[in-house]
Amino acid sequence: MMGQVAVLSWEGGVGLDSDVARLRRGDPQALEVLLSRYQHRLYRYLLRLVREPALAEDLFQQTWLRVAERIRRYDPSRNFDAWLFSVARNLAIDHLRRYRPESLDEPVAGDPSGETKQSRLAAEGPTALDRLLEQERAGLVATTLADLPVMYREILSLRFEEEMKLEEIAGVLDIPLSTVKTRLRRGLDGMKRKIELRSRSDWGLA
Amino acid sequence: MTEHESIRELLALAAAGALDEGEQRMLDKHLASCAACSAELDAWRGLAVSLKRLPTPQAPPMLVERTRSRVALEMAAVGERRKSQWVMAFLVLFSWTVTLVTWPIVRLLTGGLLSWLDLGFNQTWFGLAGYTALGWLTAGVAGAVLALRRRREGRLA
Repeated sequence: MMGQVAVLSWEGGVGLDSDVARLRRGDPQALEVLLSRYQHRLYRYLLRLVREPALAEDLFQQTWLRVAERIRRYDPSRNFDAWLFSVARNLAIDHLRRYRPESLDEPVAGDPSGETKQSRLAAEGPTALDRLLEQERAGLVATTLADLPVMYREILSLRFEEEMKLEEIAGVLDIPLSTVKTRLRRGLDGMKRKIELRSRSDWGLA
Repeated sequence: MTEHESIRELLALAAAGALDEGEQRMLDKHLASCAACSAELDAWRGLAVSLKRLPTPQAPPMLVERTRSRVALEMAAVGERRKSQWVMAFLVLFSWTVTLVTWPIVRLLTGGLLSWLDLGFNQTWFGLAGYTALGWLTAGVAGAVLALRRRREGRLA
């Protein structure tokens, strides 16, 4: 079984490498394959970053145009996923910086959710979270994720949805590994606190 | 900070699979004797699973189609630009080669006339400079005509 998985993933990697190499030579068929392969993942990542479908669509298109323009500068020894997502991220962050700079504001250290100390204290206690997670309220998790600042939304999406390694995330975000870990922990912490808070109010415990 | 407190700091990262070997060993050792941390780790893992299971928003098919055609056009344009660069490089090389190779012939044919003008040592360099300038002027006009044509084609596309 393990052997089969290894062979499949090796074939996937080889296939991807050859598609990327063909794209570098300007083969439109390769573009077709890569677009199909990444369409939903890339769109999801952009949607997590900017939260507006129309804007995510615009950035999706811009990302692939940028890929076509810069593919010859792509270093094949680098992970293509990380390169592609960093192209998308740079475009999204540039847009946010230009049109919604307030959305990039770094929250106060140790308080990534932007909540008050009072609300955090009110949310202490594992029972509400347990109850919530047991019921798998995915809608609430999605809403809570969307409520986090962009730096935590993107890192949680890359780690849990894209299942990227920490080193790959560091490459996409162009930050040191230690910062990846810090943001990951703060992002999860913010999620937990918000979920607990919402869960309490949903259950009339606020 | 007690060991229990420092381990609690690691629980979220443990659920995210982001601990290094040393931290993981420390955590495993602590979990064997701490039910509270085990329970909290389960809660973090539940959150991690919920994040992994979030439904993937689907890219609209029209968007993918639109992107495909726009990028294909861009790729064709990039290919065209690259081809033009090669053609231009070839033309430059060709111009220099033709200029240098044909210069002795021109000198031979016009030598009589130039020697009659008695320009002395400088005549060779004046002649070569004039001949080269003429070649480049022709190439410049050809380049300008090509650029104008391309701009017109771009407007029509």
